[in-house]
Parts: sequence; C-alpha cells; structure tokens
Amino acid sequence: MTDVQETIEVHPITFPPEVLARISPELSLQRHLALGFRPSLRAFDEFRDVQINEDSLSHFNGTDEMKLDTSNNILGSNVLKSGKTFVITSITGGIVEDTSSSINEDDIGEEELREMVNSNDKLSEFATVYPVVEVERGRAGACTDEEMTISQKLHDCLLHSRLISKRALKVKAGVRLTDNEGKTEILYPDEIVANEKESEEESAYAQIAPKKKWSYVLYAKIVVFSRTGPVFDLCWNSLIYALQSTRLPRAFIDERATDLRMTVRTKGRSTTIRETYDLMCDPEKSLDLNINKSNIAYASNFGIIDLDPEAALEQSENEDDEDEDTNMDVDEVKSVFLADLDTEAEETSIRSTISIINDKNGKFKHISLVGGGSKITPDMIKKALILSKERSTDLASKIK
Amino acid sequence: MAKDIEISNSESKFLLEALRQNYRLDGRLFDQFRDVEVTFGNEYGDVTVKMGDTRVHCRISCQISQPYEDRPFEGLFLISTENSPMAGPQFENGNNTDEDEILCARIIEKAVRRSGALDIEGLCIVAGSKCWAVRADVHFLNCDGGFIDASCIAVMAGLIHFKKPDITVHGEQVIIHPIEEREPTPLGILHIPICVTFSFFNPKETEENIKGESNEEITVIDATLKEELLRDGVLTVTLNKNREVVQVSKAGGLPMDALSLMSCCHKAYSITEKVTDQIVQAVKEDYKSRNKYSELLSSENAR
Amino acid sequence: MSIIAQMGPLTKVDGSSLIESKQTKIICSVTGPIEPKSRQELPTQLALEIIIRPAAGVPNTREKLMEDKLRAVITPIITRYLYPRQLCQITLQILNSGESELEFAQRELATCINATLIALIDAGIALNSMCACVPIALTSKEGSDETLLIIDPSDEELKSSNSVHVLALELVDQCKTVKNVLLLDSNGDFNEKDLFNILESGEVEVLKLGKQIRHIVESKINSDITSI
Repeated sequence: MTDVQETIEVHPITFPPEVLARISPELSLQRHLALGFRPSLRAFDEFRDVQINEDSLSHFNGTDEMKLDTSNNILGSNVLKSGKTFVITSITGGIVEDTSSSINEDDIGEEELREMVNSNDKLSEFATVYPVVEVERGRAGACTDEEMTISQKLHDCLLHSRLISKRALKVKAGVRLTDNEGKTEILYPDEIVANEKESEEESAYAQIAPKKKWSYVLYAKIVVFSRTGPVFDLCWNSLIYALQSTRLPRAFIDERATDLRMTVRTKGRSTTIRETYDLMCDPEKSLDLNINKSNIAYASNFGIIDLDPEAALEQSENEDDEDEDTNMDVDEVKSVFLADLDTEAEETSIRSTISIINDKNGKFKHISLVGGGSKITPDMIKKALILSKERSTDLASKIK
Repeated sequence: MAKDIEISNSESKFLLEALRQNYRLDGRLFDQFRDVEVTFGNEYGDVTVKMGDTRVHCRISCQISQPYEDRPFEGLFLISTENSPMAGPQFENGNNTDEDEILCARIIEKAVRRSGALDIEGLCIVAGSKCWAVRADVHFLNCDGGFIDASCIAVMAGLIHFKKPDITVHGEQVIIHPIEEREPTPLGILHIPICVTFSFFNPKETEENIKGESNEEITVIDATLKEELLRDGVLTVTLNKNREVVQVSKAGGLPMDALSLMSCCHKAYSITEKVTDQIVQAVKEDYKSRNKYSELLSSENAR
Repeated sequence: MSIIAQMGPLTKVDGSSLIESKQTKIICSVTGPIEPKSRQELPTQLALEIIIRPAAGVPNTREKLMEDKLRAVITPIITRYLYPRQLCQITLQILNSGESELEFAQRELATCINATLIALIDAGIALNSMCACVPIALTSKEGSDETLLIIDPSDEELKSSNSVHVLALELVDQCKTVKNVLLLDSNGDFNEKDLFNILESGEVEVLKLGKQIRHIVESKINSDITSI
C-alpha cells in the first residue's frame, strides 16, 4: 500500500469566449443562441447589409482613359461587400463558332424539321456564363471542392433561371472595308438596315457577308476575399449585378479575310483549306447585353438549428423557476431560425439550411432545402419565403 | 492508403501446388480463355464485357473538334482507362501512376489506337479545321484479372457498335443531324485486334536457365486475380483475324523459351478467331433487335 | 417512379448496387469501414469519400456538385459515430446518364442517392434511417396556366418542363413515416404553390419508392438465406 501524500485539486477550466468559439464552435453557438442573439451579434432574422460598387473596372463603362486601354478585356464587373467579405466579379468574353446550330436558317424545309425536333427543348434556347470562383485563403494551390461546387451551382442556376437567351449572344459580325484611298470603315448589318437609303452598302455587305455564325461566350471570374461563412449567395448576387452592367463589344472581320484559302499538302495529297476568319472586336462600339429583366432574381439563405438546453448557461435557474418547470414538461425541442448564415460556428454547426433565389414577386429560380440537422417544417419554409422576398426587394433596389 | 490485396501463404502454396498438378482453382484448363459475355446498353457504343467475375464497361462518345495542325486529314481518337476504387480497394481514385495500371493503359493504347484499328482519316470533316474526336472511356467495374484482354474486347465492341451523327458539309459550314433526324453512321473499323494474356509460373525453387522441351515452366491463359498476384512472368500478344501480330508485350519477369512464343501465338489465334466472331455476332444481333422495333413501328404507321 | 435494382453485383467490394430507372443506369460500390488517409480521418466519426464518375469524359465540376449534394443526403442517415477514425469509400459509375448532361443532372442525382442507399445496406454500414429520392418536373399544360407535375420525368419531359426538382426524404418506421426533408433541389421557373405541391405529391411517391427499396433489400436477403 502506498500512501497518497499529495492532494490534487481539480479546477474547472475556463476559456474566454473567443477561445471557446475556436475550440468548440457548437457550444459557443448554443450559448449565444440561448441568450437570444448570434455570435455575429445580429438578430435571428437579420441580414447583413450589402454594399455594391458601380461598374468601374470594365472596358466600356470605365473612364475615358480605360477605354483607350486595349488590354482591358473586362466587359462587366461588380464589387460587393457584405459584412467583412468582399466579392469581386469580372465578366470577360470570347467568341466561338456555332457548330451546334445544326440547320441552316435560310433553308425552310429543314427549319420545320428543326422545329419538330427542338420544339420541346425549352432550356436549349438559353445560355449561361462559365464562372470560376476563387476563394482567397492566403495560399496558392489546387482549387477546393467548395470553389468547384459553387462555380457549377452558379452555372446551373443561371442556365435554369433563363436569364440570358442564346439569341442575345449571337454575334452580328460587321465587315471592315478599305476603299481606294486606304480609308477603312466598318459596316455592321443592323446599322445598314437602320438607314435604308444606303442600299449600295447593303448589297456590298451582302456580297462579302460572312457565312459562318458566331456567338459570344461569357466567363465570370469571381474572387472572394476574407471569407467568413458560406459564400454562394454573395457570389450569385455579385454575378447578377455584374451581368446587368455587361456590354458586349461589336465584332467585325476584315474584308480581305472573308475569302482566305490556302493549300495544305501531306503525304502527297493536297487540299484547299478555307481559313477560319479572323474575328476582331471593336474597341469603341459596344452593345448592351440583352438579359431577360423579368428573370432577374437574388439569393438569400437561412439555417435552422435545435436549441440544446444542456448547452445553455445555468443562469436562468434563479431568475424564473416557473418557466423552467413548464419547459421541462414539454419534451419538444425548440429550434431557431436564422437568416444569412455567417461565422464559422454557424457554418459548421447548422446542418439544416434553406437557400433561395427569387425575385420580389415571389417568382422562384432556385431553392435548395438540406435537412441534415433539425427538422424543416412547412412553417419555416414559409417564413424563409417571406424573408427572402423582402431581401430580394432590397437587393434589387441597390441597382438603378 | 489504399489497401493492397494480400494473399495468404497457405492459399498461395495451394494454388501453386494445384498448378503443378495441372489444376486451376476455377477448374479451367491451362489454355482455356474464360467465356466472354458482351452486352450493349441503350445508346450506341455502350458496352459491358464480362469474363468470369471481371467486368468492364466501355462508353464511346464523339464530338466535333479541330485536328492536329500537322495532321489535317485525321480525326482524333483517345482511349481513357482510369481506375476507381469500384474495381477493388487496391485502386485509388485519380491516382493512375501505379506501374501496372500504366502498363495496362499503354498496352490497350498500342493494341487499339496505334495499330490503326479505327480509321481516323474517316473522322475528318473539313481538312485542317474540323474533325470528329472519338473518345473511348473504359471503366473497370470488377477486377478478377484479365483487365487488358477484357478492355480490348470492350473497346473494340464499342467502336464497332458505335454510330456517330450524320453530317452534311456545305463549303465550310457543317450541319450535324441529330440521331432522331437522320440515321447515324458507323465508324470505319479496319481490323479487330484481340489481346490474349499468358501468365508464366515457375514450379521449381530456382529459375531454369536452359530453355527447351524439358522445361517445367507452366503457361496459363487468362489468369484470374489470384493467379495474377502469384505469377512470375507475363506475356500479352495481340492478334487479329487476318493472322497479323499487332503487338507482343513482355515486360520483364520470368524469361521464357523463345520457341514457346510461336505456340502461344497459335493458341492466341484460335481464341482471337472465336472472340472476334462473337463480337461481330453480338453487334449484329443487337442491331437486329433495334431494327425489329423500328419495323414494328413503321408497319403500325402504314396501317 | 419505379426502379430495377440489383443488390451486390460486384464481388471485390463490401457492398454494391446496380440501378436502372428509365434510361438512367448507375452502378455503385461501397468499401468500408477501412483505414483512411490521415487527411481524411475524423477523430469521432466515419469519414466519407464520395466519387461520382461520368459515363463519358473525365470527372468535372458537374460531378463534384453532385457529389456535394449526395454527401448532404447520405451523411445524416449513416450512424457515423459507430466508426470513429474510419473511412467509407462510395464510388458511383454512371453507365448511362439518361438525360442531356449539359442541362440536367436530376435523374442521375436521384438514381445515385437510391443506388448509394442500397449499396450501403449491402455493405452492412449502420444507418439511422432510410431515404429515397425522386426527380420531379413541372410542365405547363398546353394552352392553360395549369401546372402539371411529372414524377420521374424522361429526358424529353425534363427538356419541355418549366422547372426541375430532386426530392429526397428521410424515412423511418418501415418507410411509412417521413422524418425530414433531406434534400429538395429545385431549378427553373416556379412559385410558392408549386413548391408545396412538390413537397406533398413528392412525399407520396418517395414513400412508395421507399417501400420498393425495402422490398428489393428483403428479397435479396431472403435469397441469400435460402441459398445457404
């Protein structure tokens, strides 16, 4: 037998709130919620304010100085700030040849056939942008799963929101003519139609008009700085703001390039290749991106979490004992409904979320309910819908 | 860490002893190829090949692309063989740097693509600017040995079965006709290479340095996974029905009798002949069942 | 919605399933619990590695998003605290997507969820509850404002729809009761009325499918027992 000489004193360990928030976010969140507010000190259904910047980065909307800068290929942009998080969206573009347009539009017989084949495919009339989301983490490396899923989600939601029709992205290519004196002039088909008297030019255009068809493709680069919570909403809203300011450059081809041929020889055989046209973009003239204004919608998100009575501080005991008793009898779990999730604690502990994209009239473009935690009741969905409508009205009013 | 497959000492001893006594665990003869089962999906170029427990799926797809600058008359053809943990936990997702996996991909590539089984000049649409890019995605579903042989059969059956949309060329304008609009066209297949893999076992403690009739080395065709794990050497020969050797691959391992190569090729040829006929027959039957359906439809319309 | 399912078609993994639903065909394998890589390991729970591979082409962000949604559905139904510091590998191979891949992923996602559930059961991984998932499309009737709800739409029906949805519910009590909405993923043009219509009509279909999945599992277990 050994005698225990020393006595060991056990002290309860205490942590300051900010340390507790790091080591046990769940407990920290529960403590906050029990007191009636959130770690961010916002009320349960309070959103963060959103500030946006007018488009000042793009080629056509920027200052006169920027218009001269031919290396600036940004067609539309937006800077959005919400809480501590910044989101910068810049829209750039490219031009691709339409190969999928299977049928020549001049051919009437085939056109009907196309109607028959395609009449039911409503979504194929619409285009989307190709977003790349980058969440800055202070280090370089391969993109994270979050970045990939947000990018894809933006792509899918935009396509299904039917915001941009394929027709709006068709290139009406002009032709650059050089007359005898060496003066160059760019002719655009729709401008010719505008002043009909110049039928001479019209026929000149018809002669050399390119037979190929092109479309613009839009890319969006979305960079997120100082991420504090889920960022899909912020990215979506920033993207929608940026698209509303986007202008497409006019494109033209050089008259001399319209009928370029060259011969290629391989293994004793030769063929004539009609070279692809060199399409150039006009640095001065641009067109508004024609988006379906009625389909503009903004995103908001909500979370639901069950209150854990054990996690709450025991201060209420002496304050109102009666309330406590009645609560004990009712075995029902109380859950709280939070708007606009932010902070690490909320992001990691809340597993039931509602994400909505809608407009102020309650027209939905996207909803995702994820019920990994507490139960999502119809009442909560209704509450989310009402709040999201208000949020959408507010966000829409931020742009003129 | 992806876990490696382990085989116990007693099991490996049993298997080798059985081989010495002329038996294989699954009761096959040494030069017996497993029965091949080829089934097609709904789409053109969707094939599943089963050989015993080994199961390989292959999907052929195509899209319009630009040819390589130095090869304006040729289309593009790519075979992708990526492993996933589905075939067995020894495979890791997205990590195809394992020596055996690369070897497997290379052999399929050489057997099918480099041997010119697919007429890539027939994929040209507008020389120098547009061509078809055909892609074969091989998915390993269940691994019980013989991946190379099964994949080769799957890719070839897929290519024979596949049909690409019909196109019309007006100058530089290309019109693609959807399958609903016009009957799609098959690919040009120039020959059907079939891989047959031989595994060698050395039943003695030491390697026999002098080869000849008296050698006791065991040669087994179409090894299962367990046999693959224990084999001392491997040879893959690729032949076609025209009695042409497309490829012979023996990367290290137990040295074999040079003359036995001939007998291996002979054995492989009879297998090649049988499997080729089977693939062609399977495709024919599948087309027939599709056509029967359309005939039924058209006769209804006529009434 | 009805599916043709095969439980345990693969031999080298712990659990597997093959599901066909209309033109969509997906095979799923589950390996676990196994030792994870150190970066995957969770100190108190089972880690999940989910891989979805497309029928043609290389895995892309499209598959990543599907993996993300599948993870959101599967994570809460697995009894994860039973397997601390272990890993479960779920691999799905799409054999035929059965829809236009550039525009839709609804059929594939729903089938992936159902396939994963059956494979998890086949692998003997402990589950808290069952789940089942159906794709849904809403179309406007020609010439009227009335909306038509299509359960398990085909590719053509997806294309002609106004909005597309995927509904996955958590089922308990022998698939007779709905415990929670695990996932509702909706895209397109729709309103509040449509939303609740989907939840209500979808519930009936999901319960039906849940029973069918139970039946599939039951008959597989029965045949396993009788074969011994």
